[in-house]
Amino acid sequence: MITRIARKEFTEMVRDGRFRVAAALVMALLVAALAAGWKHHVDSTAQRLTAERITRAQWLNQGARNPHSAAHYGVWAFRPQSPLASIDPGIEKYVGTAVWLEAHRQNEFRYKPASDATAAARFGELTAAVVLQLLLPLVIVLLSFGAFAAERDNGTLRQLLSLGVSRSDLALGKALGVASALAVLLVPATALGIAALALSAGTSGWGDGPLRLWLMGLGYLLYFGAFVGLSIAVSARARSAQLALVVLVGFWIVNGLVAPRAVADLARGAFPGPSSFAFTQAVREDITRGADGHNSSDKRLDDLKAAVLKKYGVKRVEDLPVNFDALSLQAGEDYGNTVYDKHYTRLWDTYRNQNAVHQWGAAVAPLLAVRSLSMGLAGSDFEQHRHFATAAENHRRLINRIANEEMLKTEYNNWNDEVPAETWAKFPEFRYGPPGVDWVLGQYLPSIGLMLAWCVLATAAAYWATGRLRPS
Amino acid sequence: MFLTVVRHEWRQMSAGKILWPVAVLFALLVGYGVWNGLHWVHFQQQTLEAVAQEETGRIAKMRAGVVEAWATGAITDPSEPDPRSAGFLGTRAARNATLPPGSLAALAIGQSDLYPYYFRVTMANKVSFTNNDELENPTNQMAGHFDLAFVVVYLYPLFILALSYNLLSAERDEGTLAMLMSQPLALGTLVLAKIAARGAVVVALAAGFSLLAVLLSDAGLSEAQVWLRLALWITLLVAYGGFWFALAIAVGALGKSSATNALALVGLWLVMALVIPALVNVAVTAADPMPSRLELIAAARQATLEADKESKARLGQYHKDHPELVPKGSGYNVADSYVKYVLSLDTEEKRLAPILDRFDEQLARQQASVAQLRFLSPALLAAEALNDLAGTGVERFRHFGRQVDGHHRAWRGYFLPRLFAKANLSAAELDRAPRYTFFEEDTAAVAARTFPVLAGLVLPTLLLGAFGLVGLRRFPLIA
Repeated sequence: MITRIARKEFTEMVRDGRFRVAAALVMALLVAALAAGWKHHVDSTAQRLTAERITRAQWLNQGARNPHSAAHYGVWAFRPQSPLASIDPGIEKYVGTAVWLEAHRQNEFRYKPASDATAAARFGELTAAVVLQLLLPLVIVLLSFGAFAAERDNGTLRQLLSLGVSRSDLALGKALGVASALAVLLVPATALGIAALALSAGTSGWGDGPLRLWLMGLGYLLYFGAFVGLSIAVSARARSAQLALVVLVGFWIVNGLVAPRAVADLARGAFPGPSSFAFTQAVREDITRGADGHNSSDKRLDDLKAAVLKKYGVKRVEDLPVNFDALSLQAGEDYGNTVYDKHYTRLWDTYRNQNAVHQWGAAVAPLLAVRSLSMGLAGSDFEQHRHFATAAENHRRLINRIANEEMLKTEYNNWNDEVPAETWAKFPEFRYGPPGVDWVLGQYLPSIGLMLAWCVLATAAAYWATGRLRPS
Repeated sequence: MFLTVVRHEWRQMSAGKILWPVAVLFALLVGYGVWNGLHWVHFQQQTLEAVAQEETGRIAKMRAGVVEAWATGAITDPSEPDPRSAGFLGTRAARNATLPPGSLAALAIGQSDLYPYYFRVTMANKVSFTNNDELENPTNQMAGHFDLAFVVVYLYPLFILALSYNLLSAERDEGTLAMLMSQPLALGTLVLAKIAARGAVVVALAAGFSLLAVLLSDAGLSEAQVWLRLALWITLLVAYGGFWFALAIAVGALGKSSATNALALVGLWLVMALVIPALVNVAVTAADPMPSRLELIAAARQATLEADKESKARLGQYHKDHPELVPKGSGYNVADSYVKYVLSLDTEEKRLAPILDRFDEQLARQQASVAQLRFLSPALLAAEALNDLAGTGVERFRHFGRQVDGHHRAWRGYFLPRLFAKANLSAAELDRAPRYTFFEEDTAAVAARTFPVLAGLVLPTLLLGAFGLVGLRRFPLIA
């Protein structure tokens, strides 16, 4: 019985001109978005690999040089893009693509793609994630607002119920009808996505890519399930098809348009972040005056000098067997690191709290749950940016430590003293390994919980509403 | 007759169940948008105040250092910077070039959360001080701001469509349309009067809140330019709203059911507000792709290495010519290092100029394409124009950029000759260093950019309206 109802629904939908237009449009957009995302991924990966190769060669071939001067020249870390970011680029346009790892300073990432784009780019972006999160729910609404309401308007519902069909069969059949129409749309696009991913699996460090993709697909299925359940429930309860449509479109607007932005401003208000100016000032203050305000950089230097002289049992720094500049530089790095740790942890925790507001906003709008989860699995969320930034910063510290060890071999107070050209090969290349799926899922427990809750509650609502179906 | 219908509609709407909830909801959303805009303007103002305060304190300290150094005599250790030297003052006593939020900034946040709004302009090259983005959670930036412009561009059309998708179809479904038409009343007059009643409510809300936002943001209401901008803003609101009303008339005139009208209108809204802008974006970036920033980094690294070697050679030559200046003991000489710093950055910039220019050229090309293609989507058209009026669009940032360049040239013109002469400045000379003052963009230029947008909204409105009114002749009065 259920299959028969589903087949009838499906046939009716596929014959409907509105569905054909909508389906063709969404399918075309989805395929175009996947293709564009894929091309961007291939191009940006090639660019990154080239840049890594060139800058490494430059580093190795800088010739005889003072190690501290080389540390100021520094190295660059380029953020790799996960293949799944071609489906959901997440925040990628709003974080810099590269960071300069130099002496003394933890830099911000540079070159946000959004700054290199027109204002129109911000207005409308075509990505597979937008199609899946925003457009497909509207197609679901379009397919199912009339499920019961239209039959009621036409008077066929009374007839249908008189046949003695079980109401739960009816609900399930209608839902399956919608689902199979959706499948017509989604299966080809999913196959395309998997094929593209399979092509890239060998080339990048994202070993758990397939698992991430499956979980992402599961997240979207829950999201679509919630919309199907909700649409059927509203359709069963609404007095007319028109009212069902207005209610569902209203929900779609709140879910897709109002909530994401409203939540962003709410998060900003709840956990205000510092201005770049205030942040930089605070860091500088801590470095010159000491984190507690009583341990200025001059005093720290004097203390270090006294300790080192005592250790080697000499009177003047000139008499030390090692270059005191190198010791002082490393001490400066060590101190700076604690200051940067303090401030960046505070800043990034503020953003994490703001993002938690985005996640909990899913209590109102399921889009917020699926968006967080999708970005996380695609590796294009803030947490994985932070993961990369932390790895890059650790590499900066390593580079500086090696540079200061080399510095020990140079003459005191002679900043032009050079070490030989072979030295630079001692500095390891920066290698980054993205976090595993379990780490990612751990960041998104509220989203996972709320997405499941939406799906379960929407299904329950659909059953409840069809159980209380009024024939007219 | 027209007014009679408007009055009747008004009475019916205010007694009905739809208008007030919708109006209250709209007012709440608009209010939230305005509040967010004000919040952001306030944040920028506070930051700029802190920046100005730091600048005043820093320069006063530098000036005191200059006075003291002239009083106590020369610095003997070449590894210590001379506080009077052009090298020291040209970088450390640099002033900020700032962009204060415009008078209507609270209405549209636009691109203002993406581009820096202050720079500390030193005598070194431009690249060295323009990397000054505001800190912001990228997740929030991705979501976008809930400002008045967002409400106007996306939600205001939806409110209009919600109030007008069933203008005639509802009357027909209830059977009152045939009765109405038995009166000496043209169908066109009826539709226009219904639209007028609804339009008055929606536009009054949007315009009223815009005015309120400007009043709350201490925008200097005595200035004529504020009122002119506000007038253009409200005109734009009316024209944009008019387009969506005309669209509702045109779709309604086809005589379909209320549900079909609603579906068609939501579909059209989706295509115009989301799909076309996305396609415009794809077309624009595919036609003129941006060069790679990573390639720029690699090229810049090469340039740094080469400039470094060159300046080392140059410094070596210099020391050969002036053996008396070669510092004893320490290998470090601050006066030289400032010259070296400025020169090597300049050499670098010259070498990178072709690549850097390519970024600007491609972006300019993309922007030129968007300027044409935006006429395909009223939403995109309105969004760009609203940002432009609020001073948060690309144009005002370009205007600011030109002034930053001007100040940078003046600052270098003042300090570089003194740097190369290794001159020390007196306090009076420091006081005479170029100052930066921001000049607001000419309002006439803003208005001139807004008029084509208005035409781009009014023309389709008239066409759709005409199509709708002609179509009404064949409107089926009975379901």
